[in-house]
Amino acid sequence: MSMPQPEGASRTHGGIEPPVGLLAELTHRCPLQCPYCSNPLALVRRSEELSTAEWKRVFDEAAELGVLQLHLSGGEPTARPDLEELIAHARSRELYCNLITAGVGISEARLDALVAAGLEHVQVSIQDVDPEGCDRIAGYPDALRKKLAFARAVRARGLPLTVNAVVHRHNLDRLERMIELALELGADRIEVAHVQYYGWALANRAALLPTRAQLERSLAVVERARRELEGRLVIDFVIPDYYARRPKPCMNGWGRAVITVSPDGRVMPCHAAHVIPGLVFANVRDEPLARIWYESEAFNRFRGTAWMKEPCRSCPRREIDFGGCRCQAMLLAGDPEATDPACELSPEHARILALAEAESQAPPPPFLYRTLAAGRAPREPAPAA
Amino acid sequence: MILDEACVVAPKPGVRLRFDPVRGRHVLLAPERVLFPCPTTVEILERIPPGGTTIARLVDGLAQEYDAARETIAEDVLALLGQLAKDRLIRVEREDRDVDAAA
Ligand code: SF4
Ligand code: SF4
Repeated sequence: MSMPQPEGASRTHGGIEPPVGLLAELTHRCPLQCPYCSNPLALVRRSEELSTAEWKRVFDEAAELGVLQLHLSGGEPTARPDLEELIAHARSRELYCNLITAGVGISEARLDALVAAGLEHVQVSIQDVDPEGCDRIAGYPDALRKKLAFARAVRARGLPLTVNAVVHRHNLDRLERMIELALELGADRIEVAHVQYYGWALANRAALLPTRAQLERSLAVVERARRELEGRLVIDFVIPDYYARRPKPCMNGWGRAVITVSPDGRVMPCHAAHVIPGLVFANVRDEPLARIWYESEAFNRFRGTAWMKEPCRSCPRREIDFGGCRCQAMLLAGDPEATDPACELSPEHARILALAEAESQAPPPPFLYRTLAAGRAPREPAPAA
Repeated sequence: MILDEACVVAPKPGVRLRFDPVRGRHVLLAPERVLFPCPTTVEILERIPPGGTTIARLVDGLAQEYDAARETIAEDVLALLGQLAKDRLIRVEREDRDVDAAA
């Protein structure tokens, strides 16, 4: 009936396909302080954010480039008072509008305005099913009750809902209840994502990594729930890289499917790409999006397979997982061209696995909460390896 | 679920078919998914009105338009809509009861 990729896209540029998705990090402001936030430690300030007119131009350029889906994210995208205006504009360019939100502090009237503007799908994060656990992770009082009320309001308006559950050592044992909660809320999907260790999460890794036993239990829980809830709830599952045998096909390949724009207009192949030294990210304030996608050095740097080293270079999976994540290769192996250490074939794999086992079994250190000040304060370098 | 011609099919909120001038083809947009439907799928999706319609009526319309044997068309349409329903891309209701919760 359908295929994942169009056969022979009509206007390719030297074999490079246009992106299908744009991740718009509208702001880094967020009332929550999750210690696993994927934002960079150096958060962009409000005064540096793109203006309404600039975002609209980005959406125009994205539509012309071939972007089909817009993921409105952050930080907390509803912190932008112009969100409804941006959604209406994106819809006028036929972009599919997906909102990725923490779901606190959004009134029903605001939600009505977002829906009226053309919002099509909502992903709301749930930090934990235990109210205290939720508040402790979010660093925000009474977060769970607000999130649930918001999720119900979304469903009451007929919009499809996805629950985003980020899991780690402090909440993984309550995974069954998270899945039940998603079902009870009327969600179509739950995304159970083990923390990915970039940005704040990397700084908090020792506090977040689950043990191997916890992970194995969670795999069994997901497998059983998938069988039992088939046709009622879709369960997407992201395993933790550190215990993986094969890496994730990060971003479906560098510069292949998704283009990311940071709150201050930097254009990146993924939201963590700034960890790779020497990559220069063009800004939508200076250059058109299409030129950045097709021609910039940063986007072409890891396209295809020519940049690969062994064991990826001659591996039959090189076009399946693209050698894993470039940022993780940088962070864990110190080389962005290396095989992602999540892969068993990486020479770094055993060391990473041992590190995960050691950290996850030691008592958890306190969280470094995500705040503008904490991210800019002088601190120990991130525990990269 | 097994579909029959008495089933009512309707568009699903959050799922949108559009033509993409950049790729020169139709795309079906859904939560976290982009699909590139074949021309037959596009034709059938375009024939589903906002308020829904029975599969029998869809088959009638196609049989008339293409001057083809009704049974052949019915078979293809049922298979295709069954797949779309399974992929959560359309809603399926029965005339005698409410929207299928899973659709
Ligand atoms: S992960 Fe937490 S802190 Fe980061 S943007 Fe999402 S809700 Fe805010
Ligand atoms: S060696 Fe490279 S291409 Fe092969 S599975 Fe590992 S990461 Fe993927």
